Amino acid sequence: MNDETDYLAEGRQVFAEESRELLQQAEYILLKLEDEPDNDELINDLFRTIHTIKGSAGLFSFDDVVAFTHVAESVMDQLRDKEIFLDDDLMCLLLDSHDQISQLVAHALDNTEEPIGDSLREKGEEVLKNLHQYLDVKTPHSSVVMIAESELKVLTESEVALELTESVINDYWHISIRFNRNVLANGMDPLSFFRYLDTVGNITHMTTLTTDLPSLDDINPEESYLGFEISLDSPASKETIAEVFEFLMEDCLLQILAPRSKLSDYAQLIYALPEENRAIGETLVASSALTEDELLKVLECQNADINKHTIVTDENITLDKITNILMDDAIIDKNITGASTPDTALDKQKQVKEVEQQSVRVNAEKLGDLINLVGELVISSAHTELKAKQTEQAELLETVENLTRLVEEIRDATLSLRMVQIGDTFNRFKRVVRDVSKEMGKKIDLKIVGGDTELDKTVVEKISDPLMHLIRNSLDHGIEKPDIRTANGKSETAIVKLEAYHDSGSIVIEITDDGAGLNPEILTAKAIENGIISANQQLTLPEIHRLIFAPGFSTAKEITNISGRGVGMDVVNKNIDALRGQISVNSELGVGTSFTIRLPLTLAIIDGFQVQVGKSSYVIPLDLVEECIALDEQQAKKGEYINLRGEVMPYIHLSEIFNDEDSLNSTPDKKGRRYNIVVVVYAGQKAGLVVDELLGEHQTVIKPLGKVFQNLKGISGATILGSGEVAMIIDVPGLIRRLV
Amino acid sequence: MSKSTNESISSGNVQQFLTFVLNDETYGVGILHIREIIEYANLTVVPLMPDFISGVINLRGNVVPVINLARRFEHQAKEVGKRTSIIIIDIKDRDGESVEVGMVVDIVNEVIELADSDIAAAPMFGAKIRADFIQGMGKIDDKLMILLDVNHVLSINELSAVTNIADELTIPSESDIL
Repeated sequence: MNDETDYLAEGRQVFAEESRELLQQAEYILLKLEDEPDNDELINDLFRTIHTIKGSAGLFSFDDVVAFTHVAESVMDQLRDKEIFLDDDLMCLLLDSHDQISQLVAHALDNTEEPIGDSLREKGEEVLKNLHQYLDVKTPHSSVVMIAESELKVLTESEVALELTESVINDYWHISIRFNRNVLANGMDPLSFFRYLDTVGNITHMTTLTTDLPSLDDINPEESYLGFEISLDSPASKETIAEVFEFLMEDCLLQILAPRSKLSDYAQLIYALPEENRAIGETLVASSALTEDELLKVLECQNADINKHTIVTDENITLDKITNILMDDAIIDKNITGASTPDTALDKQKQVKEVEQQSVRVNAEKLGDLINLVGELVISSAHTELKAKQTEQAELLETVENLTRLVEEIRDATLSLRMVQIGDTFNRFKRVVRDVSKEMGKKIDLKIVGGDTELDKTVVEKISDPLMHLIRNSLDHGIEKPDIRTANGKSETAIVKLEAYHDSGSIVIEITDDGAGLNPEILTAKAIENGIISANQQLTLPEIHRLIFAPGFSTAKEITNISGRGVGMDVVNKNIDALRGQISVNSELGVGTSFTIRLPLTLAIIDGFQVQVGKSSYVIPLDLVEECIALDEQQAKKGEYINLRGEVMPYIHLSEIFNDEDSLNSTPDKKGRRYNIVVVVYAGQKAGLVVDELLGEHQTVIKPLGKVFQNLKGISGATILGSGEVAMIIDVPGLIRRLV
Repeated sequence: MSKSTNESISSGNVQQFLTFVLNDETYGVGILHIREIIEYANLTVVPLMPDFISGVINLRGNVVPVINLARRFEHQAKEVGKRTSIIIIDIKDRDGESVEVGMVVDIVNEVIELADSDIAAAPMFGAKIRADFIQGMGKIDDKLMILLDVNHVLSINELSAVTNIADELTIPSESDIL
């Protein structure tokens, strides 16, 4: 029981992730369709995406989701068949449908017990009503036997030539299904499919076939032995019914007969099913799919086919007699199952292979564990290297060198596992831009540059919300209405650009708009009004711009539902700080505003540069190190700035900053003492850090310092050296911010 | 005395305590709090921290802060000797997460058993350390021994809050640096 609930919970988790991704994808496709409405490929993709959501939701009996998605899907199907065309109204409707599905899915995952809320239902009904306008009720197609592909082959091979054209007097669909043995092992619960089938129509009769069931001793509880004959009363189309079993196609023999199918179809059905024809025939009669008369005709026909006899028309011949004849027939043993199973197995193998090549879903926790282990490996390999160097054995050193190189490669490969492209996050904003521009009557183009830039997944997840705030702010406050834009000599359509690129160990995300820009006068006035600065305070332009990050600051004259609650920018700043990142703003009145966010690439392992100050070792992130220079005392005494090839560069003594007595005491004004300066650069700003000694590169596994040191400034973490000692990692951005 | 310490005293008839010596005074710590005892070595100083934080050590790949217990009690710390040890204590922070913190002691002695009747309440005053650091007084052979309340002695909130003050005091202000 517990196992089952675990299993279900796990399945739901997968569904949650899958549906989120699919919905995101659907939205992306929709927005792309807006630009190229005739792209059939996109419409097909859209249909498939929505269809998959419906299918998975059906597995979990999320009926609300299924019911709604089905209608949306039907509309998309018509779109695919070019019965309707994509215009603005339909686009909005489809986007609305998408939102509705998202909410329904979210609700279903949240709490399956409670019915959906009134507002959600009303919204759904409204969307449904609009969707139905596009739907003309389709009648079921002519009765063709729907079968899985692999089986089609079997049928054509057998080539049963039957000429019975009479229709049966049966108003129900007939579905024959035989599950493969491994259906349960593949994670499919046949029951859930019947439950779902019940939503498509009304199951009027169902016969369970137990002929394959072995004796109790031989039974394997993980295998499925059952087959079913189902009569279904449903107005649905053949496709709809077949779709119910879509996920089972690989794992079962499925035959669907439409109401009032021809007798020949039934004959083929009986012929195709693995059980003895007689047994099937009786089952069909029992489930009232066929009358006895009809069965006779079918069986006779088969008889005729083999024995070249004329059709026996005497309706009084009892079933027994017929079956007796049939039992003598060679047809019965025709090995149909044998022919079909290898095919399906092969197909499935192929499919599994394809999926594996695409991607493997891995629990994030497992990945985190792996990265931690690799961290330990890096430390222990550094230790090994240190010990090997002490032995001075050339061969050992060579081996260790090889080992170190491999460990480095493993480190990079492992870290890259958690790297994801930021493009997906960016694409999500297309919808926001579209909606806001429609709502506010602005014309805005979103340009995305560098969407393939990669960064750590943990960082991506945390940056999404701050980005959303920034973009909304830009759309709401930054971009002017089209008439104002033309009056100011700008093009009617505004451009918001999202750009990502790598820069010395950081990822930089820029959000640029060509809107009105920040007005320093309004900003200052507002800041004074809100008591953030005093009236006589003189601020430089960058300082004024930074005011927007102050808590409780909002300049929008009217509060819109898009932004303007005055918490946004403050929170953005805090979130980015928490990621060890920085945000800066640059704006020109009337020309536009740009925000630049810098974030560390990873929060796990970096290349470091080890230095010594007093008795302690410190590590500086290597990506931030520009060069190392020597400086004699004369130069050093001149002040806090040095001349670096014509550039003015500030510097600080780490020993002073860290109040290191050992280092401070060891510097009585010895003549000719030379200083080592490590030149670091962050966000284009250079600074020098004076250290006692340079120790060289070090693979640095970032270890958090823990809560005791949460308020410590100037140190961003710790790492473990090859010797097993702990070294502090210097917070270069923090130091530079204090310097300049 | 806080409610939690009352509970921990009254639960069970006999409790075990690890005894150790600090500045010639014997203290006890409930063994359920103790993760392990290691020798004093390879300590890395963390700059800008108050002096009762000795630094950090590498404990099998984890960076663990180490508290100089004598300084925490605002006593003079003894020179590090052969028997100086670090006791790794497991405490819970405000969010209920388990945190390892080391404390430096002069000599680790033994594990003793004390019946509830041998444990007296902490004195209101007169002790050499802060009253809230004391969980109770253990009686052995008519001698009294302080049983430490590690959750107060090593309170993460207090340790990091002190960092704040130290931070402001010791970091040179911007004008000093420039």
